[in-house]
Amino acid sequence: METVNHNIDDPGDGEQLDALFRAYRSASPDPETGPNFMPHLWQKIEARERGSAIFARLARSLVSLALALTLLMTIAVSLLRRQAPVPPETYVEVLAEDHENQNFDYFEPVHVEPAADQH
Amino acid sequence: MLVDYELIKRARDGDGAAFNELVRAYRRRILGTIARLISHPEDVEDVGQEVFLRLYFSLDQLRSAEVFEPWLYRLTANAAYDYLRKRRRRMESRMADLSEQQVMLADAQAGGRVDSDDSERKRIRETVDSLLDAVSEEDRVLLTLKEVEGLSLKELGTIYQVNENALKVRLFRARQRVLKAFNNAGRKQAKRVTSPR
Repeated sequence: METVNHNIDDPGDGEQLDALFRAYRSASPDPETGPNFMPHLWQKIEARERGSAIFARLARSLVSLALALTLLMTIAVSLLRRQAPVPPETYVEVLAEDHENQNFDYFEPVHVEPAADQH
Repeated sequence: MLVDYELIKRARDGDGAAFNELVRAYRRRILGTIARLISHPEDVEDVGQEVFLRLYFSLDQLRSAEVFEPWLYRLTANAAYDYLRKRRRRMESRMADLSEQQVMLADAQAGGRVDSDDSERKRIRETVDSLLDAVSEEDRVLLTLKEVEGLSLKELGTIYQVNENALKVRLFRARQRVLKAFNNAGRKQAKRVTSPR
C-alpha cells in the first residue's frame, strides 16, 4: 500500500490508527451476494427503461402535437388573409387621406398682447 | 483487472450477457467496498444494485475499457456518498423528533448492545464506524478507499479526477480530523481492539 506522509504531532496515534484500519479491513470480508441480486438488478433496469420509454413517447407525442398545431394555425391564417384582402394603399397613405378634409385654422400662432398697466 | 477488455466493450455495446458477466465478476468486490464504506450490512445490496444500475445506464459514456475499474470505483464512491448523506439527514430528523429522555434511553440501549457483544470483529467494525461517523461523508469515503481498500494515490487521482498533490492534502486533512476524533473518543476502545490478546 502506498503511504502518505502523516505529519502528526504524536506518531504513535497514527500507527495505532493504521493498525485499526488494517484490523477493520480483516474484520470486514467481502460479503456473499444473495441469490436475488441479479434478478432484482434487472428488474430495476427494466423499470427505469420503461420509465424512460414512457417519457420519450410522451415527448415525441408533444412534439407531434405542436407540429400539427403549427400547421393548422398556418393554414387558418392564410385562409383568413384570403377572405379579407389587404388594401393596396400603405398605412401612411390611408392616414393622409383620412386627414385631408380637416380644418387646421385653430393651429395659427397665438399673438399675445402686453398688459396695459405695465410700463 | 478481473475481466478482459473485450467483455467490457461488448457490455458497452449493449450486450446483456456481457453485462451480466461483468456484474458477476465485480459484484463481490464492490459489495465488500460498499460494506466498509457505509457500515450498514442491511443496505449493502441496495447500494450495490444502485452502483450497477448507474453502470448500466452510463456504460456507453466510457471512453476506453482501460479506465473501467477506476470508473466503477467512482460510481461506487458516489453511490456510497449519496447513501451516507441521505442517512445522516434521516438520522438528524429522527433524533430531532425524540425528547431528551428518549435520546438518553436510546444511547443507553446502544451502549448495552456493544457491551454485551462478544464478537471481536464486530467491536472493531463499530470502533472504526464511530470514528468515521465523526467526520464528513467526503472524508469517510476518501479515507476508507485509501486506508482500508488500499487504493493507490494514482488510482484515487483517477477516481477523484484531481492531481496527486491535491489528493495528498485532502487525505492529510481527513486523517487529521479522524485522528482528532480518535484522540477524543475512540482511543481507549481502539487500544483494546488493536492490542494483542
